[in-house]
Amino acid sequence: MRSLMHPSFVLASLLALLPVTAACQAAPRQPRELAWAIHYDPKTFDPAKVDDEASELVRYLTGGVLLRLNRQTQQPEPQLAESFHVSPQGTAIVFKLRDGLRFSDGTALTSADVAWSLRRVLAPSTQSVVAEEFISPNEVTIDTPDKLTVRVHLAKPVVGVGKIFDEIAIEPANRPSEGRVTSGPFTVAEYKRGQYVRLSRNPNYWDHDAAGATLPYAAGVRLDIQNNREEEISLFLRGEYDVIDRLSPEYFGILAQKSPQSVHDLGASLNTEQLWFNQSSGAPLPDFEKAWFQNRGFRVAVSEAIHRADLARIAYQGHATPAFGFVSPANKVWHNDDLKYPREGVADANRMLAASGFHPSGNRLYDSAGHPVKFSIVTNSGNAARQKMASMIQQDLAAIGMQVTIVALDFPALIERLLHKQDYEACLLGYMNAEPDPSSMMNLLLSSAPNNGWNPSQKTPATAWEAEIDKNMRLQAGSGSQQARKLAVDRVQQIVADQQPLIYLVYPNVLEAVSPQLHGVQPSILSPGPVWKIASLRRQGGAR
Amino acid sequence: MKKCLPAAALLLLILGGALVLRLAPYDYAFQDRDATMAPSTARHWTGTDELGRDRAVRVAAALLIGLTGATVAAAITTTIAACFGLLAAFSPASIAAILMFVSDIFLSLPWLFLLMMARSLLPLTASPLETAVATFLVLAALGWPACARAIYRGASVLRSAEWLIYGRACGLKPRQLVRLHILPHLRPLILPQFLICVPAFVVAEANLGALGLGVGEPMPSWGAMLLELDNSALLAQSHWVYLPIALLVAVLLILESFAREGETNA
Repeated sequence: MRSLMHPSFVLASLLALLPVTAACQAAPRQPRELAWAIHYDPKTFDPAKVDDEASELVRYLTGGVLLRLNRQTQQPEPQLAESFHVSPQGTAIVFKLRDGLRFSDGTALTSADVAWSLRRVLAPSTQSVVAEEFISPNEVTIDTPDKLTVRVHLAKPVVGVGKIFDEIAIEPANRPSEGRVTSGPFTVAEYKRGQYVRLSRNPNYWDHDAAGATLPYAAGVRLDIQNNREEEISLFLRGEYDVIDRLSPEYFGILAQKSPQSVHDLGASLNTEQLWFNQSSGAPLPDFEKAWFQNRGFRVAVSEAIHRADLARIAYQGHATPAFGFVSPANKVWHNDDLKYPREGVADANRMLAASGFHPSGNRLYDSAGHPVKFSIVTNSGNAARQKMASMIQQDLAAIGMQVTIVALDFPALIERLLHKQDYEACLLGYMNAEPDPSSMMNLLLSSAPNNGWNPSQKTPATAWEAEIDKNMRLQAGSGSQQARKLAVDRVQQIVADQQPLIYLVYPNVLEAVSPQLHGVQPSILSPGPVWKIASLRRQGGAR
Repeated sequence: MKKCLPAAALLLLILGGALVLRLAPYDYAFQDRDATMAPSTARHWTGTDELGRDRAVRVAAALLIGLTGATVAAAITTTIAACFGLLAAFSPASIAAILMFVSDIFLSLPWLFLLMMARSLLPLTASPLETAVATFLVLAALGWPACARAIYRGASVLRSAEWLIYGRACGLKPRQLVRLHILPHLRPLILPQFLICVPAFVVAEANLGALGLGVGEPMPSWGAMLLELDNSALLAQSHWVYLPIALLVAVLLILESFAREGETNA
């Protein structure tokens, strides 16, 4: 122990905290090649088995799909399928393929390839994450009346079924190639573990621009495996990289100083940051604490005492939007524009607490039984913005007499406490919402859901408002009427705003950097961000 | 004169820290949200951190908390080590072997994981002050074995000293022997051990804080403040970010000079 604690050792380790400014280098860029960084090696190149972000990006860039979700309108658009038709009951989808489609190796792409690719994804042996989105994948049947027609039959309707086909790459039947033979804009050409993935242009890609030139414009894409943000920024500034997606506010600020024309704040993302109290009756907490957390007035007062604008301005350097519900305003289709939420202010919070049986004494708050109101907020370590928010909430709640301690835990320890032991009082965490459709929130909002934040896996809803959330979420998931779905989702947003089981704090903004030399970029808050129109992207002047 | 310089510098730092805490209109947790990452101003002499907390106040508090905690922890660990070493030295050989074996086991334990485990056992609602006390107590509880071994070696030599035999023959009780003769003889050995432990514990707390396992927010600690150095965006914004590391290095050099002097005198 002595040697490890010796000042000379520790001085060395303190110096290790200083940023590394060693010169960084990327692999040489080939002519007309696009390049950017991914943070980890893709786990697989098999498009049917994708379950991580890097692999998903490679699938997006290489896999030809029947439909592609337009990242701006959030509507599916035909790709390999020239047209598609969903039956009025929502149980049958008919795809009509484009004529003359070919894979990158020149072989014809027919309905047989589509049926084989779909069946492979649906097969239990593939263990595809996408299959789960069909709800009952083993009951899905596919037939191919002719070479250009594919019919998919579902046992029951699936909400937003079109977008699922955005995630299914069509491969040559019986010849899975791990991205080497594709129907998308690029194919996997070279992979060096821990260094880069190189994609080359598919010469037989089906799409053309308005002038009739074949797409994609770029000769290839190089994805450097690079987990050092500072190095990534340095390479971007040197013109080695074309884009940086999902910048942190700190690095956005650095880039804004050095290359202001490159950085873009696209506004609120779909992601949310929220605080919630443990309302589980089985939680190992004293009964009086459970009574606080199950008290609507207590939760609303906490929500009213938090200065969300400060959180956005300071913790995110202005690159976040105050949040009051689980649907971000960026999700224009589903956001409830008439949402009524608790007013922000210490006076209102104090009134609400007084009405709920709490009373101040000195600068501390006590419940009706005389217990001082003190609790801990757990959050994950390593997220600077979240820890700053926790510190600010600590001060905001001190203003209404609540004594808060902050505990940063590593992620596995945090999940163990939240989902298994339920041994926590309050938690500050974020949700990544990749899907704009509110059906993706079912596993967080249903009272029976194991991932329900405030009170998971309830056998029956503990309260009337939770029962109403369940009813409306199930209604929107099963309804074929967009209007009925919207009404149900609006109602759930209002219940959550009234009851504050999840106290929404901010929607972090989408921050990205795009080289001024890169043309054809259409900004989008949805993954994969600035490169979602990859076939239309090109660097100014071609070869650099 | 030269020997007095470190003591004067340390005294100056302590007085300066106490003065800053006394005169500043804010406490270390106050967030001036309209002045985040502020440069030097009349309100904030050395600027503020990302949450608008006065950097001078936080550094002064971290200095005093770190020094007090490390000094108390060093005193505890040296006391434990002295007791353990003396017990082993004046016990029969078999018991001494067992005691030193226990000490060796402690030395070989993965202390970082033990510290992490011990910190994680604290209740979530432990206040920042309680986390600070717990952190230094844990350091004290784990830091004694190396000192104990050194004291054991020194005390073993004394066991056959003539003055000790004479003292026993005069009828002095063991407690009197220890207090009047053994401890004064061991002081040149124990004092450097104590002086070495102080900077070691300051640094250990800084390391724990940098890992997020030290003193709880919003109480300032070296480790938590040094984490700012990991953010190059902050480094570009204010040179005052370097204040904690500069002060920590100065404090360590001063404490090291005490330890060196203690060893030389021994």
